Amino acid sequence: MIILRSLFYILIFPGALFTACFGLFLAGVDRKVVARMQHRIGPPLRQPMYDFFKLLGKETIIPHAANKIAFLGAPIIGFVSLALIMLFIPVGGLTAFSGNADMIVILYLITIPGVALIVGGSSSGSPYAGIGISREMVTMMAYELPFVLVLLAVARKAGGSELAFSMEQVANWQAANGNMLFQWSMIPAAIAMLLVVPAEVGTQPFDVAEAETEICEGPLIEYSGSALGMFKLNSAMKMFVMSGLFVSLFLGGIRTGFVVCDVIVFILLCIVVTILCMSTIHAVTARLKIEHLFKFYWTFVAGMALCSLILVWCGL
Amino acid sequence: MFNKLINDSASKSPWLYHINSGSCNGCDIELVACLTPRYDAERFGFKLAGTPRHADIVVVSGPVTSQSKERLIRTLAQVPEPKCVVSLGSCPKSGNVFKGSYSVEAPLDDYCHVDVSVAGCTPKPEAIMEGLYKAALILKEKREAMHK
Amino acid sequence: MIQHFPVLAVMLLFLGAFCVEIFGSNNAGIRNTIAMLAATIALVLIYALIKPVMIDGEIISYWMGNWAPVSGYAIGIGYEVDALSLFFALLVVTTFWLSGVYSMSYMAKDHHLGHYYTLYLMLSGSVLGLVMTGDIFNMFVMIEIMTFASVALTAFRNENEGTLEAGFKYLVIGSMGSSFTLTGIALIYGQCHTLNMAQISAQLCTGMTPTTIMAFALIVAGFGVKSYIVPFHTPAADAYMVAPTSVSMIFSGMVNKAGVYGMIRVLYIIFRAMDKSSVQMLVVIFGAVTMFIGVTMALAQHDFKRLLAFHSISQIGYVITAIGLGTALGITGGLFHAMNHTLFKGLLFLTAGAVLYATGTTNLDKLGGLSKKMPKTCICFLIGAFSISGLPPFNGFVSKWLVYQATYTKAVETGNFVYAIVTVVALIVSVMTLASFIKVTQAVFFGQLPAELKKTQEVPASMLVPMYLMSALCVLCGIFYPIVNKYLLHPATEATLNVTNYIDKMMGDGYAAMMGAQNIEVAPVQFSYWNPIVWLILFVIIFVAAFLVITGSKSSRGQVLNPGVKYDPKYATFFSGEEELFSQVGGSDLFWGFKTDWKGYYKVLEGLHSGIVTDYAGWTVMATAIITVCMFIFMR
Repeated sequence: MIILRSLFYILIFPGALFTACFGLFLAGVDRKVVARMQHRIGPPLRQPMYDFFKLLGKETIIPHAANKIAFLGAPIIGFVSLALIMLFIPVGGLTAFSGNADMIVILYLITIPGVALIVGGSSSGSPYAGIGISREMVTMMAYELPFVLVLLAVARKAGGSELAFSMEQVANWQAANGNMLFQWSMIPAAIAMLLVVPAEVGTQPFDVAEAETEICEGPLIEYSGSALGMFKLNSAMKMFVMSGLFVSLFLGGIRTGFVVCDVIVFILLCIVVTILCMSTIHAVTARLKIEHLFKFYWTFVAGMALCSLILVWCGL
Repeated sequence: MFNKLINDSASKSPWLYHINSGSCNGCDIELVACLTPRYDAERFGFKLAGTPRHADIVVVSGPVTSQSKERLIRTLAQVPEPKCVVSLGSCPKSGNVFKGSYSVEAPLDDYCHVDVSVAGCTPKPEAIMEGLYKAALILKEKREAMHK
Repeated sequence: MIQHFPVLAVMLLFLGAFCVEIFGSNNAGIRNTIAMLAATIALVLIYALIKPVMIDGEIISYWMGNWAPVSGYAIGIGYEVDALSLFFALLVVTTFWLSGVYSMSYMAKDHHLGHYYTLYLMLSGSVLGLVMTGDIFNMFVMIEIMTFASVALTAFRNENEGTLEAGFKYLVIGSMGSSFTLTGIALIYGQCHTLNMAQISAQLCTGMTPTTIMAFALIVAGFGVKSYIVPFHTPAADAYMVAPTSVSMIFSGMVNKAGVYGMIRVLYIIFRAMDKSSVQMLVVIFGAVTMFIGVTMALAQHDFKRLLAFHSISQIGYVITAIGLGTALGITGGLFHAMNHTLFKGLLFLTAGAVLYATGTTNLDKLGGLSKKMPKTCICFLIGAFSISGLPPFNGFVSKWLVYQATYTKAVETGNFVYAIVTVVALIVSVMTLASFIKVTQAVFFGQLPAELKKTQEVPASMLVPMYLMSALCVLCGIFYPIVNKYLLHPATEATLNVTNYIDKMMGDGYAAMMGAQNIEVAPVQFSYWNPIVWLILFVIIFVAAFLVITGSKSSRGQVLNPGVKYDPKYATFFSGEEELFSQVGGSDLFWGFKTDWKGYYKVLEGLHSGIVTDYAGWTVMATAIITVCMFIFMR
């Protein structure tokens, strides 16, 4: 029974299938909104789905310089870890698995898709990919500091005098005391987190690693067919996972009493967060340089998050 | 069902890879103009890809100079199946005003199979879009032929 | 019967050392047999102790020559193996046994192997003796043997550039550490009139005098040198780099663990100083600085083994931080990380050795694309790299997860913001660790194969087997961590925090109570981040499903058409249409965006790591002075 239930959680909801479908939908929303902001009609909402299926139908070329196992295995590892993260994030009050300190588990699981991208790109043997993975790794180091600070601030706020590294505890605290976002000491942290999300997903101003015009899509350069499709799916899923993480950290306290309604509210909030921090920034900015990106995250964004952490530690 | 979904998607998300084989840049600008808000090719799912490995449609402009010929053929080989080749403008079709030059090796169809030719110097964005759309339909046919 | 095992194991190793030199200096067969026989018997003897010590909770004591205490004073040399000692002893025997197996083919091309195996067995025996002895002067003797065997092994390949320099650095700094320890021991002996650790511990219950504080500070500094915490880390980088890799593995797997063991023994059991929050803070800050400087130095390295050396320093920082917290959670995390560090760092050194063996270089700028030539080594390396970077479900994740939790719990409990900063540093260091291993992955195993490495071959089986064993242990410890916790970590943690049993076993029942030592009840640390078995099954299911999807679609890969003929351009790497060229993004070129932002910091570090021994000796003295002053302020 417990195995069956875990199987359902992992494969269907809120694991692989739900995350994949909704992630693709969210990517469609993102593209549509960006198009509307630029006064275009834009692709249909199902466009990422078409892209994914088309890529499944294409030939997968493995260049002779590539290491076949790493080249094909990397996207799958990324996919699995993304499906797993969703199990730790409370989807509208429903957490598939919770343990103590699952925030750190999330923090680590969320680096795995990035690592998968790096290993895959690196194993393709292309020098463009070499530059791409270097940028991807620097980006990762850049956003990790503010991300960690935000998580610690939230944990401290939700825990009070004891430690609360658990997402469920954060959700319960918010259900009791109102949303984390409306605590004024947490506002800098929320802003920092809003800036961490696009870097983690790798959308427009922070997509230095996959810059298609300068380094030919970086780590993805040699990928084609279904392996590429998996990577595209991964980045769509990451969009959902990160916006979901933001929602459950800062807007997690909304309880209507019905699980279905809670889930719908969660989904709507995810869409809002995506539009706010990915589409809008995407539509109005140009790509950063890698050293500027690093500096931006370690000074401005980390500063905001640290500000929150200190306020929380002062008991505010 | 799965196969049908893939076949249907084949024509709905064509990604372009653009190769300039010595073009005067006129066609290139017009191609990019297709992506602007006025024409918005993205509503058909068109997207510019950064590498031939991601491409479905390869758009070739320019009269295939002898310097670029080898690179052009090599790049075309690197595109995964099913793929379409679209020649953009009069140059790759006939050599246009450069015909007869010692350094120009047009037409393009001497070196590869061209699925759609968009003529004009330069072709209008509307014409380019129509050509690309036709190429997308050919993509679907090719995909169906691959998985008969 | 069982109480003879520890001392037999140590004796056998030393005996083996002499036998190798006498009988085997000219005959490889005899030499290898003696060395492996001694190592294997020691391994078996120590593993046989798991049941009584770890599971039944016994403490094994042994008086050399049956010199039991006379009228309350320990006069003989005693061996005392409690769970903490056995925990480290297990790490030690596992490391040297695997290293011995690896040496068989790795060292086969070298000369004077008689000396090598003599020193190898001396080093193994001394570290094993160090972690099991109950006599503080005996401990010093073992430290001395360890230091000089290490110096000789560092300079073993002395035809190579830099070995003698590294040996010299090691000699100077290592001897300084030993001298500190010796001075401390002399002071303690003058004060307590005994050299038995249990008895010293009992006598110090009555309080510290200035002399014992001085002794405490000096012994802590001495073990700090042995565990290479910053700023004592300077000889480590050179020594690990130039020593034969089987020895580098011993250094990072046992020699610096011996330092960590000494720290724990001194801080928790002999002087019981860890109930003072200021001492905790001092140790934690040393640990945090160590891990940060270690990892940032590692990011800037161009040599595979040197990079690993700096990571050893950095990971020891984690261990020191965790044990400095003084909580059961912290000690569990620290011990687990020490164990994991032995496993994954040993594994990584072995892969580095395999690369060196197969290609003749460890320069990150000259390697590349080896994953096609050495696929097995590559997989082992990736497991090690992911373990050290703490990716789930490998073992590094669990122990790091414990360390973060312990530090942040400590921060919340004490309300001290410094511990929160330490948590942040620990998390950031983990990402940087990942970054530097990505660099190695790209520069050594992936990317393009340079023309001069085209003939590289996979290493022989006797080198692969230790790597396989260690990879398997890395994965198993990550998945079955509750078992590890129950049978290894929990007894060791309890032994660390409970002094009375340790004293009573050695000095007779009731001795500890007479001197006023008390036990602290330790609740077993329970931790779980997921149910490992169920999760493993599901992980596999998803993996298989996804793999079917991906291989279901048509994939093709390039074949060599004819030898000598170029590849089909379709399968060539995309070079913007150009013909494929050799172009490898090597180790030094990665992360320049990061490096430009950190230019100032690296300039300072570069200035500090001047490579001049007098500078390093100066740092050592200065740090010892700081520790001494701090201890006098804190312990009054």
